[in-house]
Amino acid sequence: MENFQSQTAENRYDKASLAKNNGATQLSNTNELDAEQLAELMLKVANLRCKVSFAKLFKHFGPKISAFGNQRLHQQGLAMDLVQETMTRVWTKAHLYSEDKAAVSTWVFTVMRNQCFDMLRKVQHNKEDSFGDDIWPLFESDDAESNEDDFKLSGTLLRHVDELPPLQRQIVQGIYMQEMTQQELADKLGIPIGTVKSRLRLGLEKLKGFMEKHYD
Amino acid sequence: MIKYHPQHELLSLHIKGELPLSMSLAISAHAELCDICQQKLNRLTECETAATFDNNTESNISVDLDSEMSSLLAHMMQDTLDELDANPAQPYNEGVTEVTVKDQSYPLPRAFRHQINAQWQGIGKVSRLRLNTGEEQSRASLLHIAPQGEIPEHTHKGSELTLLLAGEFSDEYNTYRPGDFMLLDENHQHSPKTMTGCLCYTIVDAPLYFTKGFSKLLNPIGELLY
Ligand SMILES: [Zn+2]
Repeated sequence: MENFQSQTAENRYDKASLAKNNGATQLSNTNELDAEQLAELMLKVANLRCKVSFAKLFKHFGPKISAFGNQRLHQQGLAMDLVQETMTRVWTKAHLYSEDKAAVSTWVFTVMRNQCFDMLRKVQHNKEDSFGDDIWPLFESDDAESNEDDFKLSGTLLRHVDELPPLQRQIVQGIYMQEMTQQELADKLGIPIGTVKSRLRLGLEKLKGFMEKHYD
Repeated sequence: MIKYHPQHELLSLHIKGELPLSMSLAISAHAELCDICQQKLNRLTECETAATFDNNTESNISVDLDSEMSSLLAHMMQDTLDELDANPAQPYNEGVTEVTVKDQSYPLPRAFRHQINAQWQGIGKVSRLRLNTGEEQSRASLLHIAPQGEIPEHTHKGSELTLLLAGEFSDEYNTYRPGDFMLLDENHQHSPKTMTGCLCYTIVDAPLYFTKGFSKLLNPIGELLY
């Protein structure tokens, strides 16, 4: 059994440990992450398929989803199914999340509610359909979904980090290799957090571009 | 301008996921045409998220996952995530994005795109495509009326929802535009007429059904009213 147990909060920003750390995860003492932290975790899951970040999201949301499932699906004993189905979709549909459109918690709520709706229909109407995501879209643009493969990137993404322009490289390295938060980077570089966000977005777009060229 | 919108109560139940499929289809399609309601739904989703996740004292107290949850996480970390990435999802099937009735084509709201698996049937200027929602208490359909057509006056035991998706029609009360969301109870009757043709989504014969949440539906007293 791998160690998913808590470590002290100071370790959270232990530089460079996370990039190498692939399974033995460190989690902070509290499950309550703020919106900014959650957004960074989602970005890493979406762009880097980062399991460590996924585990943190799981720890944060798992018990909340379970509590919701116990209310809604109690009689059916399906609460754990709801946790599994929801977190599976957080992993497979992470690329549909957009920080500009909603907080991560709102997005996860949407995924969970949609899943619960489909599960209840299965129980009550014996319908094996899944309309939740048609009724309450997961923020995507339609093309994002059809280009899904383009967005499923592995750690090999960072191989191309040296090809980025210096300002973008600095941000991408800070976030993904030195495990700094966007706020910490903004403070360190003396720039607004909005600038960090936009450089990060541009850098990741460019990295995706490199990947597509190499794997076409 | 859209004049008729779903009531707040319906929007709220929709966000909680407590409305029947037939009604949630209508709210979703209305919001796709109505920015005002879309904004309201976005805000309601935020509120509902906070109410569901933030007041969750249980998870605030317990720092560690219980054993069932821990083993699920361990399983996902060791196997499931890799399997998911190794087996990419089926290409997204966007479903039916457009319907053509009597040589008139209409784009379909997103909510209906995987619902269309029947044929249009009709007499004269009125065509109907029944949606199979699996709900015994209501009948949901797309309804097309050709130019210069009208629906004969009809009565219904329960409520009737008409959501105009495209075109225009008028009844005794008003003239309607795409997005208009009309919920009439059994005391109202109407006989819509259209000059240029229209496409609607309708739900009929659903006493107390689609305006209440699941919890009320399961109430046996409710059943007696059918
Ligand atoms: Zn509206």
